[in-house]
Amino acid sequence: MSNLAALPIILPLLAGIVVAFIHKKTKIVRILSQVISVVNLIAVAWVFLQVQQNGSIILETGGWAAPYGIILVGDLLSMTLVLTTNIIAVACVFFAPQSLSKHQEEYYFYSFFFLLVAGVSGAFLTGDLFNLFVFFEVLLMASYGLIVLGNGKVQLRESIKYVLINLFSSMLFVTTIAFLYSVVGTVNMAQIAVRVQEVEQQGILTTIGILFFFVFATKAAVFPLYYWLPRPYISPNPVVSALFGALLTKVGIYSILRTFTLMFNQDVQLTHTLFIYLAALTMLFGVIGALSTHNVKLIIAYNIIPAVGFMLMGIGIFSEVSISGTIYYLVHDMIIKGALFLLVGALVYVAGTSDLRKMGGLIHHHPVLGWMFFMASLVLAGIPPFSGFIGKLLLLRGGLAQDELMIVIVALISSLLILFSMIRIFIRGFWGEKTENPYPERKRKAAKMAWPVAILLSFSVLLGVGAEWFYPTIQSIAEYLMDPQIYIDSVLKE
Amino acid sequence: MLLAVLLPFIIAIIIPFLSKWKDKIHPGYFVTIIPALIFIYFARFLGSNFEPVMREYSWIPSLDINMVFYLDGLSLLFVLLISGIGALVAFYSIFYLHKSEQLGHFYVYFLLFMGSMLGVVLSDNVFVLYSFWEFTSLSSFLLIGFWNYKKESRYGALKSMLITVFGGLSLLGALVFMTVLTNTTSIQEMISQQQLILNSEYFPLILALLLLGAFTKSAQFPFHIWLPDAMEAPTPVSAYLHSATMVKAGIYLVARYSPMLSSSDWFFIIVSSVGIITLCWGSYMAVRQTDLKGILAFSTISQLGMIMSMLGFGTKVAVFAAVFHILNHATFKGSLFMVAGIVDHEAGTRDIRKLGGLMTYLPITATLALFGTFSMAGVPLPFLNGFYSKELFFDASLHLDEIANVGVVGFIKMLLPYLAVFGSIFTFVYSVYFFFGTFRGKSHLEELPKKPHEAPIGMLISPIILILGVILIGLFPKWINEPFIAHAASAVKGLEVQKEIYFWHGFLYPPLIMSITVLVFGTVLYLSRKQWAPVYRIIPGVLSMNKFYDGLVDRLETYSSTVTKGYMNGSLGRYVRLVLAAILIVTFAFMAITGGFTVDTSNLADVSLPEIFVAITMVIAAVGTILTNNRITAILILGVVGYGLSMLFVLYRAPDLALTQLIIETVTVALFLLVFYHLPKLRKKEEAASTRMLNLIISVGFGAMMTMIAISAHSSKWFESISSYFIDNTYKLGGGDNMVNVILVDFRGLDTLFEIVVLGIAAMAIYGLIRLPGKKEEK
Repeated sequence: MSNLAALPIILPLLAGIVVAFIHKKTKIVRILSQVISVVNLIAVAWVFLQVQQNGSIILETGGWAAPYGIILVGDLLSMTLVLTTNIIAVACVFFAPQSLSKHQEEYYFYSFFFLLVAGVSGAFLTGDLFNLFVFFEVLLMASYGLIVLGNGKVQLRESIKYVLINLFSSMLFVTTIAFLYSVVGTVNMAQIAVRVQEVEQQGILTTIGILFFFVFATKAAVFPLYYWLPRPYISPNPVVSALFGALLTKVGIYSILRTFTLMFNQDVQLTHTLFIYLAALTMLFGVIGALSTHNVKLIIAYNIIPAVGFMLMGIGIFSEVSISGTIYYLVHDMIIKGALFLLVGALVYVAGTSDLRKMGGLIHHHPVLGWMFFMASLVLAGIPPFSGFIGKLLLLRGGLAQDELMIVIVALISSLLILFSMIRIFIRGFWGEKTENPYPERKRKAAKMAWPVAILLSFSVLLGVGAEWFYPTIQSIAEYLMDPQIYIDSVLKE
Repeated sequence: MLLAVLLPFIIAIIIPFLSKWKDKIHPGYFVTIIPALIFIYFARFLGSNFEPVMREYSWIPSLDINMVFYLDGLSLLFVLLISGIGALVAFYSIFYLHKSEQLGHFYVYFLLFMGSMLGVVLSDNVFVLYSFWEFTSLSSFLLIGFWNYKKESRYGALKSMLITVFGGLSLLGALVFMTVLTNTTSIQEMISQQQLILNSEYFPLILALLLLGAFTKSAQFPFHIWLPDAMEAPTPVSAYLHSATMVKAGIYLVARYSPMLSSSDWFFIIVSSVGIITLCWGSYMAVRQTDLKGILAFSTISQLGMIMSMLGFGTKVAVFAAVFHILNHATFKGSLFMVAGIVDHEAGTRDIRKLGGLMTYLPITATLALFGTFSMAGVPLPFLNGFYSKELFFDASLHLDEIANVGVVGFIKMLLPYLAVFGSIFTFVYSVYFFFGTFRGKSHLEELPKKPHEAPIGMLISPIILILGVILIGLFPKWINEPFIAHAASAVKGLEVQKEIYFWHGFLYPPLIMSITVLVFGTVLYLSRKQWAPVYRIIPGVLSMNKFYDGLVDRLETYSSTVTKGYMNGSLGRYVRLVLAAILIVTFAFMAITGGFTVDTSNLADVSLPEIFVAITMVIAAVGTILTNNRITAILILGVVGYGLSMLFVLYRAPDLALTQLIIETVTVALFLLVFYHLPKLRKKEEAASTRMLNLIISVGFGAMMTMIAISAHSSKWFESISSYFIDNTYKLGGGDNMVNVILVDFRGLDTLFEIVVLGIAAMAIYGLIRLPGKKEEK
């Protein structure tokens, strides 16, 4: 037992509260937030190393032993995702002053930001199903705060959709927890796992599992539950979009991954086959969405969806290789989505429009932005040797090893279409005749916006070229997930 | 060897930093040195007693992805072509590209391409090969788009990328398949375990995916359409990527996998027929072109088809001829592209209708073109290398002894010699057309944008070297046969291949008769070309793969738009309907399949009269909320539901919960009433009866589903609940009397802490909303 498990939650929680009190002193808040984010990243990295060396860190909050109290489980999967979250957080916090208005910064952007990070980290760390619900509420409420920040008319109209769908899924979540509690008499995830296993997931349990899947799938934007996602994601400020695109859907995927490796793993034939079909549909419809529009922000937002399909594919195939593919893809996708939303925010800023048909020749004025975008497109489409390729390769290998031909072919087709949807932006937006720069005065600020993106992109390159440094860890996580007994023993200490 | 492959990449990274010296010295000089060094490095391996070399460098061992370089005869042939032609093209480009161009960009892409291409032909690890493969496509994309202010450049770049990356992804599919089947990522090991692949039930699919990759890259029919549009790239690029090297990557791939695949009938059927069709189609279409580079593009397509078909034959002669022709094609086609570039540069146009009679103005260039075109046409002269490989091609098409005579295979085998002659006739026609149309005949100087004159000597050096190659290989084929070509052919065939190359075999040698047939018919067709030109209006006429591609790309956007707008119409009601319907259908299906629904009444308490009364009131109130038209009424009725709930809490002896619920309900109703004062009147949306019906079905269905799950969950209490622990320990360990309170603040204090945070965030969000500056109402 170690209090370290709570560190990634406590630090941003306190930061969020502190900056709320001095919210009008924008300059101080900015610097403070940047410092705290970096410190938090370092702290989390340190905890990650501890976990990597000594195994999971378990914290029984309030000293109440499992399964009665709330348990935080800092295992390698959780810490990997928390670490990635914090990398994105740092990039966003440095990007924020460039893109936010004074009012947005003053009215609690940084508080919402930290509390969102706290909520996301909490969701990754908790070992208690009801507590997961609570952290979902935290991150959702923070996201409500962020999405309405600035108060645009379009923004508010889209926020309503976002809020209502998420409220519905929260209601379904808590109801489903009640159903499950009625059957297994506990909300501790390890104990649920033991008990579901004991009765071989018979009777109503698979149905309850599917309800959980839908709760998380609504957040993760799986077909056919993603309707709410694209437009609300692009209506707020780019930095908010980046946080949403990088973190929120991934919490949903993480929850599916955790739930269906640890707890509902007894009827794989049925549940996981459903996942494969939904994954295929998610990829196709998502990428079709990305091709359907000329709004660059919307193209990026739609591209969230096929990535979710890729990750769900790995869960559906359910082998060690495919699960490690999902985890690799998860980390990769968090980083690249963060980078892309920031990048496209900068693009729209320098172009003065988000309509692709009105852009052209931007590379002559903004070469750095252009080449970063080109690279990000390659990363997203899974071109080697960047990070997307490693995840995709693992998923394809896993798929073919299990004779899942259909999903592999769909994945390949979607990769091509993803690249097409992205390269369209590059060709039409950046290439073209050299014209007068419409906003020459925006060049300096755009250069400042480029830095955080460059940092995220270099992580993408590192994850691909330096896969040897990361893959063994990811592989050991997959091994660990495929053997839930390790988790159960570490929490229940039997 | 690792350094040789990585050197271009390293220099590519350095180049942008040298841009300030750009005005003093043309960076092309610097870049020419690199391929020259690589050429020298690899030329050391030449020799009769060459043995394959394998070098391993660790990269991602845990995924079995390592830099394993395998240099055998086939790789050596390609490596020398890539570096040799690379050096010549880089040197040529110094005079072709002016300093005012974005030279830094150009040479970075150029080097990226060269490094990737070396990687493709040297990698033994399939995933490393794939990585380099995609990079060749990408650098080709960037080079075609070099003059991206031109619309055609952008179009050509996108087209080549979509088609080659499509092929790349299907290649990836094939490679992953083979990796999974053989459990190795090494090509050589896959070949040694070929039975695992050949006997797999997926073999036809693997073959199809692999060949798709090769055919798209090597511009085989019907994927050839990207190559003519790729001619928008600067001419040195066309000479290098789109004729001598990159387009041969597909050929390389097929050759590399030949030892494994050639035993399959499918391989023969597909590869030789696609190859021969490409040969015929390419040469037929080349005659119609008016742009010099257009002629060369279709000519390249057709020559690639010829090489591909020979790989498909798979006999010793054919394989030998194929590798021989890879070399020959690179020499004469490379020089012809440079000639086209010179003409464009010096005369200002590449339109053959405006050109003519340039012999007098560009005598050296014309001489080079003469050798190049005649070698390409396969004119039987002893100093033209193109004739030798053409004759070997005819020979190979006649001697398919290893191929069975039955069925489809036999039919194709019978047709092959005729198609080979047919394709070669048109090859002859366009070769002659290229030379005579540009350099002979009447000159129309007034139509030319520039007054033509001979090119600077620097620009001529590279094509001269290539044409010397054409002549020397023609005169002394022995020099390169044993130390070079034979090794390459053996690597493709998988066993020793020896073949003597002669010029003269006697008059009654069948291939010679074929060559003479080509010569005669070709001359006739060239002279009468005006008469039969209308045939192009029938074939291809309006049907073309280009139209298909354009239609597909356009439609991809419009269809996507239609599909997406079909369900993403922005209406919240619709989203909710779709979400609920999806959950409803799937969950019901699962409940039915797993037999999840159970009812167990053994453990139920009696229902009292007050409970029934409260329940009915709540149901009526809930329904009433939906039916009313008035906000205030709605909220008041909703309040009834809440109060009903607290009544139930009272009945179930939970007074504290009842109290809480009562307070919440009262506050909520009061707040709602306050806010509603400011809201517009509630309007009933006019919805179609069918939509309302659908809404009714979905909501009743959803309610029923949740009820059924609740009943089943209640009927399946298989375990003792953890709540007994709380009952036992609330006082003992928690030190409190009220269990709910102790749970909230102690046992599950973390939940409470964060629920408070949630409320705090909500408060801040609302405060931020209210304090919005510039709101219209504010003064």
